This record gives sequence, C-alpha cells and structure tokens, in this order.
Amino acid sequence: MKEIQALIVDDSSVMRKIVERSLRQAGLDTLVVHEAGSGTEGLELLKSRPFDLILSDINMPSMDGLEFLRQIRTQNLASDVPVVMITTESSEEHVRQAIQAGAQGYIRKPFTAEQVKERVLPLIHVS
Amino acid sequence: MLLNGVRKAAIALERGGGRSGSEKTMGVSLRESMHQVSNPGNLDASVEEVFQMMLGLECRRDHGPADVSNDSVTAVVGFGGLLSGACVFTTGRESALQIAGAMTGMEFPDVDDTVKDGIGEICNMLAGAWKGKVPELSANCGLSVPAVITGRDYRLHVQAPEFQLHHVYRFQDSCFAVTIVCDGLQ
Repeated sequence: MKEIQALIVDDSSVMRKIVERSLRQAGLDTLVVHEAGSGTEGLELLKSRPFDLILSDINMPSMDGLEFLRQIRTQNLASDVPVVMITTESSEEHVRQAIQAGAQGYIRKPFTAEQVKERVLPLIHVS
Repeated sequence: MLLNGVRKAAIALERGGGRSGSEKTMGVSLRESMHQVSNPGNLDASVEEVFQMMLGLECRRDHGPADVSNDSVTAVVGFGGLLSGACVFTTGRESALQIAGAMTGMEFPDVDDTVKDGIGEICNMLAGAWKGKVPELSANCGLSVPAVITGRDYRLHVQAPEFQLHHVYRFQDSCFAVTIVCDGLQ
C-alpha cells in the first residue's frame, strides 16, 4: 500500500500525538506523520516535500491556522492536498471562514477517532 | 495579572478575526441569553464531553472542596469579545500526571512540558466546549492560547465578576476544579 504523508500542524505536541493516534485508529496503517508546531513551520515543511493530507489547528500563536491555510493557497504550495481544520472553535462563522480559506473538512475538539475517520478518509485516496 | 494577560490575548485574537469587533457584535447582546451563559449544567456537560471523548474517563461532579492544595497545575484560557473572562482548570500534581497519561498513552514521572501542554489543551477544549453551548457566545467570543502555572500557594482573584462558576469533579481517585469567570458581558 502507498504511504500516506500527513502533515499535522498544532502548537500542542500532545494534540499532534492525539491526532496521529486517531488517524491510525481510523485505519491509516501506512501513515507517515510530519509534525509542525506552528503555521510558519508547516509552510517550511510544505516547501520541502509533497503531502497527501494536512490537518491544522486554528488557534495558534504567531500564525493562526486560517492564515496558514491562506498562505498554502496563495503560495500554491499544496493546491490539490486536502486540508482538515481541527479546532475548539465550532461556530458556523468559523467553519465558513475555514471553508472560504480552502479547507475541505472541519473537526471540532473534543473529537472521537470515529469522527476523524468519517471526516478524513473520504478526502484521501488510499490505493 | 495573569488573567488580564490571557484575557487581553483573547480580545486581540477575536479582533484579529475576519470581521471587526464592532461588526461582529453589532446587534448581538449576551445579556438576553444570561440564563444560558451562566447555566451550571453547560459546564458539567462540557467537562463530561471532553473527558469522555479525549480521555475515555467518566467524571462526576463533587460538591466538596477540591483537594489540590499541594503542587497544583493550573491552566488558564482567556475569553474575549462579547464575554471577557477566563476558564481556569486546576488540579493536583498526581491528577495532572494521570490526565496527561490518559491523553497520550504515556507515563509521566514528573510535571514536564508535555504534561503542562496536555493540561493546557484540556482547558482549551473545556473553554471551547463551554462557549459552544450558547450560539451567540460561540460566534462572538474568542479564546486565547492556554497559559499554565505550576506551584503552590497561589490564588485566583477577580474583583466583582459578573458571574463565576466553580465546580469540582472527580474521576477514579483524582479530582480537579474548573472555574469560569466572567468579568465583562455585552
């Protein structure tokens, strides 16, 4: 099976681990996880290699997740890569802003592995 | 001092969003939803949701005092926007290690940066889940990034809050306290 290169962007290392564990519980056995502690770090990683999936927090210091997402699209770094926002913000306005910025999925914290499976698996192509 | 810092950060974050603060708050007032905002059941439901979903732990509300006097770990997440204030999560050293262990599947001998990070995230999710219970609050109130304090003999003091919820919860043989302080409401 093809490896799935995933980028997880969150200023919390604990949340990055939880997201990774949830993706593995969702059945993504060939997952290769790359972690970034900020939007800036995430952009650097995107310039260095291709990814199949990006998951990002919204509330982060210096560059928030929405700005990270806008930068991805405007710099044309991963225009065809699905991006899922994982955040404590749950209002319709936040979802609208994320979709407008180019996100394909939105998961509210707290979440279950089942929710991650439902929202993420349809977005990636597992051969 | 700390509360003011995180609250200002939350206000700045809220103002930095897609729309300006005045646009967002125009015509919206939380005063009419005060009974919903200060509903103690919302806090209990938020705690239950976060602990069940993220840690697989069942919590129960306890009406006794929180036993977190020695070497406590406290996380603070500020609210800004229509409501200003903070969500404060306080627990003892052993409970903090237990919570971080349940979150990560790892064992921690001491309160290190990962444990503090985990407690900060719990507070962040509690603050988000709590404000998400009231639609007007969810849409018009921002959250700061968490600040975590460790040590002993410190107290949280807010002068004349609009309202305050302080609940103690127990899971297994551990306990923690969650305080929602509102010192400004539009």
